[in-house]
Amino acid sequence: MEIAFYLSGLVAVLATLGVITNTNPVHALLYLIVSLIAVALVFFALGAPFAGALEVIVYAGAIMVLFVFVVMMLNLGREGVDQERAWLRPQVWLGPAVLSAVLLVTLIATLWSGDGGRMIAGEMLTAKAVGTLLFGPWLVVVELAAMLLLAALVTASHVGRLPGPTSPKGRRDAGARKEVS
Amino acid sequence: MTLTATHLLALAPPILVCATAILVMLAIAWRRHHTGIAIVTVVGLNLALLSLIGVWRMAPLAAPMLAIDGLAIFAAVLILVAALACATLAHAYLAHHDGPREEFYLLLLCATAGGMVLSASTHMATLFFGLELLSIPLYGMLAYVYGERRSLEAGVKYLVLSAAATAFLLFGMALLYAETGRLDFAGLAARLGGDLGAWGLAGAALMLMGLSFKLSVVPFHMWTPDVYQGGPGPAATFLATASKVAVFVVLLRLVMAAPAFQDGRLHDVLAVLAILSMLVGNLLAVTQSNLKRLLGYSSIAHFGYLLTALVIGDGLSIEASGVYLVTYLLATLGAFGVVTLVSSTPVASSDGGGDAARLHHYRGLFWRRPYLTAVLTIALLSMAGIPLTAGFIGKFYIIALGVEAERWWLVGAVILGSAIGLYYYLRVMVTLFLAEAGMQRHDAPENWANQAGGVVVLGAAALVIVLGIYPDPMITWVRHIGILTGG
Repeated sequence: MEIAFYLSGLVAVLATLGVITNTNPVHALLYLIVSLIAVALVFFALGAPFAGALEVIVYAGAIMVLFVFVVMMLNLGREGVDQERAWLRPQVWLGPAVLSAVLLVTLIATLWSGDGGRMIAGEMLTAKAVGTLLFGPWLVVVELAAMLLLAALVTASHVGRLPGPTSPKGRRDAGARKEVS
Repeated sequence: MTLTATHLLALAPPILVCATAILVMLAIAWRRHHTGIAIVTVVGLNLALLSLIGVWRMAPLAAPMLAIDGLAIFAAVLILVAALACATLAHAYLAHHDGPREEFYLLLLCATAGGMVLSASTHMATLFFGLELLSIPLYGMLAYVYGERRSLEAGVKYLVLSAAATAFLLFGMALLYAETGRLDFAGLAARLGGDLGAWGLAGAALMLMGLSFKLSVVPFHMWTPDVYQGGPGPAATFLATASKVAVFVVLLRLVMAAPAFQDGRLHDVLAVLAILSMLVGNLLAVTQSNLKRLLGYSSIAHFGYLLTALVIGDGLSIEASGVYLVTYLLATLGAFGVVTLVSSTPVASSDGGGDAARLHHYRGLFWRRPYLTAVLTIALLSMAGIPLTAGFIGKFYIIALGVEAERWWLVGAVILGSAIGLYYYLRVMVTLFLAEAGMQRHDAPENWANQAGGVVVLGAAALVIVLGIYPDPMITWVRHIGILTGG
């Protein structure tokens, strides 16, 4: 199990280096996903399967959605196809693929040797334990997080708002301001 | 420790503020009404302020991850007063804003709750969430008038830099956790003991860096003038008052509770930061021609003075910083309140938009708006620390503390800083009284004194004078806080 922990940790570090050294955002995202999956594996090795599963679902999943949005916002067409072809050069996918393969081999080897239910140290942190902790002593923090998300949502929706049809005066003024500046 | 009914009662003020925020959100969804929303906000904040009287009887009390003690209640009072002032000023300021106006109050309430939680936190988790709940609504408040380039710039600048500072803070927490395995301040202090390893020192220093950014202490001050200048008046007021008070109180708590922050080397760093802030803040303020930028630099200097109390850190330092925070809050509310009121009328775009903050807008203000000018003059005099204003009492405390601890470098820097400060405060005051024809572009609405915003600035000015002449109630109150906190 120790080997699985250290290998996943190494993969996480390498993949994160790939994220910050890549100039193309899409390539960086690929590395980021590998890094997040590696961190999830580290969590599994540490005996926190719930945190590991959340890492895969929320982070890797949410990042995938972001990735899809990036692709959606690009102008698809002939250039899009060319772009896709350019992305599929081996030097782009080789790095993340090798790192993912290392993770996969680690996972299979761990399962094969019957190490599945074990971890490095400490006790298993199940979803139930996390839940009782969160809604017991950490209740205040959970509620604060809720308020935080509300504030962030309102901020984003306000700043991202286009001058709507409800305020024709505002739109005219904004236009006038644009002309002046 | 689980949450009990007693804890919930003691946490009533932040809960009331959050509930008001949710009520405001639902009201916005149902029907937009600017004045109505503002009234709901003010009523909610006042209820929270009233509930503090009940909480005062229960203190000191340790809720999970939060301490309801004298310091927390003191900070909550200051934050709520600042939020009330910002809400009333916002009502005047946003009256001429095209587009949605009601969300500002929602963000203001969220930030207020965040500040109250932050100042009461005794755990890294509540510290972090409190700080973020304070900062994230502020991005929205600063960029609220996003049609103006400067406002948007202020919001984005604060967002990016503040996120970087938060990353430092989180990394520092992670290092301290790796060293001790604890996240609550008391446990952290017990585990660290007197000896601080290399990792512990690095963690404490990174945390100090993150918090210094929020206090805009030199050399983490670069964002301050731009954000103050660009942000809408009420948002800048909130940033300069409530946000800084909350962060300073949590820093005070950290320094008192955790020996990580009583390490000799860190104290030297704090002393250097304090001296730098006083000198650089005051020197840079001298050349400013924009009142909001000038107030921004002056707030950097004020937090240099306040850090002096933190560095000395003996028995009287809580009392000194408490008194100084009260005087700073009142003077800043007065000064920013006047700027906001003067900017409340629509601004000609030929002037680059934004608020009326250039010094030439204020030229001869006395001949048009004598009372408003009087308020600004009193606020500036108090910031300069002239006797008969509250600012004098605060500065007196700081210098007395420094002299008693025989920290002559710090005392010298305070005195030098105040001398430079006097120069530029007086320069602004001279501008106010210069008579000149044909400079009437920016003006407060005629009936400003009858409206809530006018009452707020007049009240702040009156308190500055009253507490300057008769500071006894304030000192007794602040001393009581020190006893309740046990520091």
